[in-house]
Amino acid sequence: MDKNNNRLGWLFASPYLIFSTVFFLGPLIWSLYLSFTNWDLISPTYDFVGFKNFTKALGTPGVRSAFWVTYKFMIVFVPIVTAMSLFVAVIVKGLPKLKSVFLIGFFLPYLSSGVVASLIVKGFLSHTSPVQTFLRERLGLDIDWLGGSFSALFVVAMIMAWKFTGYYALILTSGLESIDQEVYEAAAIDGVKDSQKFWKITLPLLYPAIYTTLILSFGATFGIFTEVYQLTGGGPNYATNTWQMEIYSQAFKNLQAGYASAIAIMAAVATFVSIFVIRKILEMWGKRNGWV
Amino acid sequence: MVGSNSNTKLRLSIRYLIAIVLLVIMVFPYLYMVLNSLADWSQVDRMLIPTKFTLRSYQWLFTGGETGITRPWIHAFFNSVFVSLISTALMMMFAIMVAYALAKLKFRGRDSINNFVLFHMFFPAIILIIPNFLIIQKVGLFDTYWALIIPKAMSLWGIFMYTNFFKAVPDAFIEAAKLDGASDFKILYKIMMPMSKSITAVVFLFLLMERWTELLWDMIVVRSDGMLTLNVLLSQMFGPYQAYPGPMYAGAVMLTLPIIILFIIFGKKFQEGMQFNLK
Repeated sequence: MDKNNNRLGWLFASPYLIFSTVFFLGPLIWSLYLSFTNWDLISPTYDFVGFKNFTKALGTPGVRSAFWVTYKFMIVFVPIVTAMSLFVAVIVKGLPKLKSVFLIGFFLPYLSSGVVASLIVKGFLSHTSPVQTFLRERLGLDIDWLGGSFSALFVVAMIMAWKFTGYYALILTSGLESIDQEVYEAAAIDGVKDSQKFWKITLPLLYPAIYTTLILSFGATFGIFTEVYQLTGGGPNYATNTWQMEIYSQAFKNLQAGYASAIAIMAAVATFVSIFVIRKILEMWGKRNGWV
Repeated sequence: MVGSNSNTKLRLSIRYLIAIVLLVIMVFPYLYMVLNSLADWSQVDRMLIPTKFTLRSYQWLFTGGETGITRPWIHAFFNSVFVSLISTALMMMFAIMVAYALAKLKFRGRDSINNFVLFHMFFPAIILIIPNFLIIQKVGLFDTYWALIIPKAMSLWGIFMYTNFFKAVPDAFIEAAKLDGASDFKILYKIMMPMSKSITAVVFLFLLMERWTELLWDMIVVRSDGMLTLNVLLSQMFGPYQAYPGPMYAGAVMLTLPIIILFIIFGKKFQEGMQFNLK
């Protein structure tokens, strides 16, 4: 640890240090301060209102729904994306040729903007679309996809699943490839049936990769904004109102900066605690089965 | 033996068939978008595969069409290119610098900074949107390119990725170069960077894609038409221009195509990089 290295280290790290002071630590304190005021984003003066923003937020349907909608998204999105990416990974892994072409192809949806995905889905589900026409005229089903509370949530979750499946499949495929083929041969000698292979060998040995994709997919549900903003605006009747949507509406539409800051803090706490609990549960699940 | 051989062949064909069907389903929305952007307006959103084609949607996009409003699509496209490239370049440059310090320079306080980066990375960013917006407004950068670039010039994930990669490079390389009298800047530029080509492809593509498709931040810090990025413009046109679905699809193609082309160009390096990334 010579003096020269000390100076150079701080010099190289300085962009980050400056950045995190200006755009992380400062804003964090400012946000805490704002959450105790009734500032409206415009007027020069504002009052200190104590915990009023927090108590008010707890009673509104917007905040209550933001809290619950995240978990509803999880219940729909996580199993679907996990099953889909696992299926893709298992199918693609056994291909002797063109494996990487397939993986790259499945990854493409990840590159699309949420706005574009929403646009396509909106057109796809519009009244005159081939899908809707088919459902109406052949099956007698007239579904207002974005007008129903569950179907709207389901549509957004499916867009997310479409986007993330290829990415997670890539992670799972490389997990599958790290499994030694000899394990399967040894198991076959020990009399493990083909039908049990997946549950007894693949799943346990794939656990680290599955853990990664699960954490990523649970985390993704806390950041849903674009698709909801674009397709439903949080509706119908708050059925798809995520934290980000609620904060955006309160801060930049209703101009309640103080109140929105309080909601942002509640969102951050909910996110932090949820992710922590989910991690613990996944680790316990792995340990109980002896996978880690 | 013959029987089991044809059996595996059959299994393999089924596997390929399933993979192809899955791939077609996954890529179909893109195909639907491209076909609709080229479809005759009487067929947009009315057929799965349109039969009559026209360039009218693109023409409309670039001229403003019957509404007589010249929408700044081309301008927005250049805004997106400009902002995304500069932001991504800064993110890469800073990530490499900071990561080199955290991985290879032994200095007092390094471990604390390392831990802080991890804490920062896992901190829910949502809490920062309002105050960051206020900072931009207070310093008078609202509605400028700076507002789109500066707060997006640092990627914690980028720092994290490069730190992990650099840690795996043996110190012997650096010591040998130091004996030859190379400076740290030179080591970074001449030794570390060439070694990290594939990881650079991964980080570059992920960061560029994220910057290119950012909506919330770009939406709140600029207002005037000339400042909008393509993603925001498309988002704003979403409601009012429902009567013109064809041009909206053309706009969507304009937003999607560049990133896919880049991805395919870097495809091979990207795969190599992902292999490291996932280990």
